[in-house]
Amino acid sequence: MTTLALNNVTKRYGKDTILDAVSLSIEDGETLAIFGPSGAGKTVLLRLIAGMTEPEAGEILMNGEDLIEVAPEHRSVGMAFQNFALFPHMSAFENIAAPLEAKPAKGDGIAVGVRKIAELLKIDHVLNHAPRALSNGQKQRTALARALVGAPKILLLDDPLRNVDAKLRFEMRLELPRLLEGFGSTVLYVTQDYREAMALGDRIAVLMDGRFAQVGTPEEIYLAPATIAVAELFGDPVINLFDAEVMAEDGHVTARVGRARLALPAGFKAAAGRPVVLGIRPESVVRSRAGSAGAINATVAALLPLNDRMVRLLITEDGQEFYTSRDFGEGSDAGEGATLTIGAAPEDIMLFDKESGHRIAPDAAAGRPIE
Amino acid sequence: MQHMSTGERVLRGILIALALIFFLFPIFWIVLMSFQTNAQILRIPPSLFFSPTLENYTSLITGQLKTASGVLTLNFMQNLFNSFILSTASVALSLVLAVPAAYAFARYKFRFSEDIAFTLLSFKFAPPLLVLLPLTIYFQKIGLANTYFGLIWVYQLITLPLILWIVRGYFEDISPDIEHAYRIAGHSWAKTFFKISIPLARPGIAAAALLSFIFAWNNFVFALVLASADKQPVTVGALAFVTASGIQYGQIAAAAVISITPTLALALFAQRYLVEGLSLGAVKG
Amino acid sequence: MSALEHASISAKTASPSRRRRRQKWLPYLLSLPALLVTVWIVIPFFTAIYYSLLRYRLSLPQLKGFVWFDNYLHFLSDGRFWYTVQVSLLYTVITVVVELVLGLGIAILLQRSTRFNNLAAMLLLLPLMVAPALAALMWKLMTNPNFGILSYLVGLIGLTNFRWASDPSTALFTVILVDVWVYTPFIMVLLLAGLRSLPKQPFEAAALDGVPKTFVFFRITLPMLMPYILTASLFRMLESIQQFDIIYAMTQGGPGNTLTVFQVESYLQFFQFTNVGRSAALLMVLWAITFFLSNVFVKNWLRLRERAQGISEE
Repeated sequence: MTTLALNNVTKRYGKDTILDAVSLSIEDGETLAIFGPSGAGKTVLLRLIAGMTEPEAGEILMNGEDLIEVAPEHRSVGMAFQNFALFPHMSAFENIAAPLEAKPAKGDGIAVGVRKIAELLKIDHVLNHAPRALSNGQKQRTALARALVGAPKILLLDDPLRNVDAKLRFEMRLELPRLLEGFGSTVLYVTQDYREAMALGDRIAVLMDGRFAQVGTPEEIYLAPATIAVAELFGDPVINLFDAEVMAEDGHVTARVGRARLALPAGFKAAAGRPVVLGIRPESVVRSRAGSAGAINATVAALLPLNDRMVRLLITEDGQEFYTSRDFGEGSDAGEGATLTIGAAPEDIMLFDKESGHRIAPDAAAGRPIE
Repeated sequence: MQHMSTGERVLRGILIALALIFFLFPIFWIVLMSFQTNAQILRIPPSLFFSPTLENYTSLITGQLKTASGVLTLNFMQNLFNSFILSTASVALSLVLAVPAAYAFARYKFRFSEDIAFTLLSFKFAPPLLVLLPLTIYFQKIGLANTYFGLIWVYQLITLPLILWIVRGYFEDISPDIEHAYRIAGHSWAKTFFKISIPLARPGIAAAALLSFIFAWNNFVFALVLASADKQPVTVGALAFVTASGIQYGQIAAAAVISITPTLALALFAQRYLVEGLSLGAVKG
Repeated sequence: MSALEHASISAKTASPSRRRRRQKWLPYLLSLPALLVTVWIVIPFFTAIYYSLLRYRLSLPQLKGFVWFDNYLHFLSDGRFWYTVQVSLLYTVITVVVELVLGLGIAILLQRSTRFNNLAAMLLLLPLMVAPALAALMWKLMTNPNFGILSYLVGLIGLTNFRWASDPSTALFTVILVDVWVYTPFIMVLLLAGLRSLPKQPFEAAALDGVPKTFVFFRITLPMLMPYILTASLFRMLESIQQFDIIYAMTQGGPGNTLTVFQVESYLQFFQFTNVGRSAALLMVLWAITFFLSNVFVKNWLRLRERAQGISEE
C-alpha cells in the first residue's frame, strides 16, 4: 500500500528551481534511500514532506490525504536532522521526550518510552546530559531516538551519518536496518554515500538536478543504471566508459572500441551503427587469452589498494584509461608495468545512447533495443 | 606585545591609573559629599577625612528637609518611585511588543520587513524634541499630559527599538532547524515559540531588557517636557531639587547617588552584555 | 521516470492553501503591535513640519498664520541661528574628536585581556551608565565656585578665578568636559571589542619581523580598526549634535545664550519665547542633519554587523 505519494512537486527558491515536478510513491514499511550529489534537492524534499517549507506546485499525499493543509505538528513524521538540531537547553532525556509530550498525557509512559528507545540506541547512560556534553555519536543517537520515539508513520532521516566519524558510520550502517525494521516505519533516508544507499534502501531514488534520474532497487540501479550519470554515481572506482560503435555482422554483434572489438549480446543488434557509450564496471574486467576475440591489450600504469581489493589503472594500447578491481591473483605478473590482455563477458557490458545518455537495454527476444 | 620593557610597563600603568582617576573620581567624590554635612562640604581646603553622617539620606527618605529657614518638605522619594514605575513598565511593555516583532524580523522575509525594522530603528536617531514639542500640545488635548500611561507610551520610543534590534540578532543566531524539530515533534507554532525560541534567546532578551531599563532610567528630556513634578523621574527631579533645596549640597549629592545607583548596579551585574547591547550587536565582544 | 509517465500526470498545481495564507500573515501579526505603538510618532513629526511653516507664537495666537518657508528663510540672515549652528558643530566636533582619541588610547592600553585590564575596562564603563543630566549635576557640584573640588584644584595651580560653566568663555569647555566624561567610555568599549576581535596573525608576523610599533599601529592596527572607529564616531556624532541633557542640566543654554545648541535653542524658543514656528523650523534643520548622518551610520553599522555575525558563526 502506498503510504506517501508526491505528485509533480515543484519547489523554487527565488529563480532557482530546486525540485522540478518530481513524483514518487513510497510503500508502507519501505525504506527508500534518496541518493544524489549535494545540492540535488534531497534535503528540500524531506523539508517539504515534514512541512517545513511548501511546494510551489504539486501535491504530497499521505494515505491519500493531501498534506499541504496539514501543519508540521500534525503530519505524524519523525525527522533526524543532518546537524542533529537538538534542543540545546534541554537534557537528552527532554529532547527525546519532546514528541511524547505532544501526545495525550500518559503519565509515566513518557519516562518508560524514553528509556526504552534510549536503551535500544545505547544512550540510556547519558540521558541527563545536555547536548553540548554529548559526543557526536551520542548526539546522533539522541537525534535518532527523538525521531523514532513517537513511532511516526513516516521517518525522515537527513543524512544522519554525515557528521559522525568513520567507525561509527560503519557500525550504524549495520545497526540501522535492524532498528528501522523493528519500528515498521516507512523511511526516507537521504544520503550522499552510494554504499549507504545500497545497504539501507529497499529502493533507491536517485535525485539529480531536481529530478529523479532513476528509482529502483539497489540491484536495478547498479546493474541497469538508467543513465550514464547514474552509472557513474554508483561504484568505486567509477565505471569505465568508452566511446564505441555497435556493429552487427552475420549474427555477431560487436562493439568497436578503438582497435579492439568486444562481443555483445545479440539483443543489441538494433543499436548497430549508432554512436554509443560503452560501460564496463571495474569488477567485470577479466583477463582473457591473448589474441582471442574481444581481447584488449593494456599496460598496468598504477596499483591503488582500496579496502580489501587491489585496483589497477590500466592503459590500453589505444591510450585509454581503464580501471579493474578484479583479483588477478597477487604475485602474478600483474604488477606495475606488466602487460595484460583483458576483456569482459558480453552480458556485463552496458551500452548508453551517446546523445541522450540513456541506457540501451538489450532486447532478449526480438533483438530490438528499448530505451 | 610580548616584548614590553619595564619603562613601557610603568608608563602604561600610569596612563591607566590616570584614566581610572578621571573617570571614577566624580562618582567617588559625590559619594563622599553625600555623607557630609553642609559645613564639612563648605570647608576649605576640602578634606578626605571627616566623620560621615547619614543625615542627607534620612532627610531625603523622610522628605523632611531642615534648613536654616525651617523645615522644607521634599518629594524625592516620589521621583524615585516614578523612575521605577516608568522604567519598569516601559521595559515590560516593550518586551511584550518587541520580542514577537524581533522574531518576525529574524525569521521571515516579508514585504516591507526591512523597511519597518529600519523605521523603528530611525526613531532612535531622530531629535526627540522634534516629536516631543508638538506632542505636549496633543497630550494636553487628549488628556495624556502628565500621566504614567502617556509617559510610558512615549518611552516606547527609547526602549522598543533597542530591544527589537538586540533580540532580533539573538533570534537570528538560533538555527531554524531546532524550531522545526520541535514542531515536527508535534508541537504548535506558539508552543515552539515559548518553549524553544524564547528560552534560547533569553540571554539576549535579558541584556536588552537591562540595557533599555538603563536608557529609560537615564532619560531626561521626555519627562522634562511631558511631566509635571508629581510624575517626574529622578533625572528631572534631582535638578529641580537643586533650586528647591537652596544650598543643601549634601542632599543634592545624596540624591545624585541614589539616582545613579540602580543603573550602576545593573551595569556591573550585566556587564558582559553591555558591549553588544550598546553597539546594537555590531560588535560581538 | 520515463518521459511517457511524466506526461501522463496532469500538471496539477497546488492552490494557495489556507495554511500558507495564515503563515503569510503571521509575521505581520507579530510585528504589528510594536509598529502600532510606535508609529504614531509620525503624527507629531508631520505636525512639526506643519508648525515650521507657520507664524505661530503661543503668546500671540491672533498672529497665527501660514507663512510657507519664511521661518527657514529668516534663518539665513539671523545671527542667532548661525550661532546655534556654529556652537552645535563646535560642540560635536570637539567632543567626538576628544572622545575618539581618548577612547582609542585607553582601548589600546587595555587591549590585552588580563584580569586587571578587564576590571579596569568595567570600571571605566561606569560613567556611561550615569544619566547625562545627573552627570551634569555631579559636575556642577564639583565645579561650584564656593566649595567645588575642581574649583579648589584649579585654584591650586593659580586659576583662582576659573568659573567653569558660569563664565561664557569657559562654559563650552565645561560641558564638553562632562560630555567627554560620560561618553568616552562608549567609544572605549566599542574599540576595545573591535581591537580584541582583530585577527592575531598580522601582529605576530610584524612582531617576528621586528617591525617598529608605531608602524604597526598606523599601518596595521588603525586600518583594521577603521570600520569600528567609523561606526563609533558616527554614532557619537548623531548623539552629540542633538545634545540636550548635559547642556540644559548644566546651564540651561547659558550663561546668556552661550550654549544654545540646536535642541536647547529650540526648547528655549518653544517654552521661553513661545515661538513654536521658529522652534519647529530649527528642529527640522537638525532633523535633516541627523537624517543624513543616520543613513551613513546605518549603512556602516549594517556592514559591521554582518561581519560580526560572520565571525561569531565560525
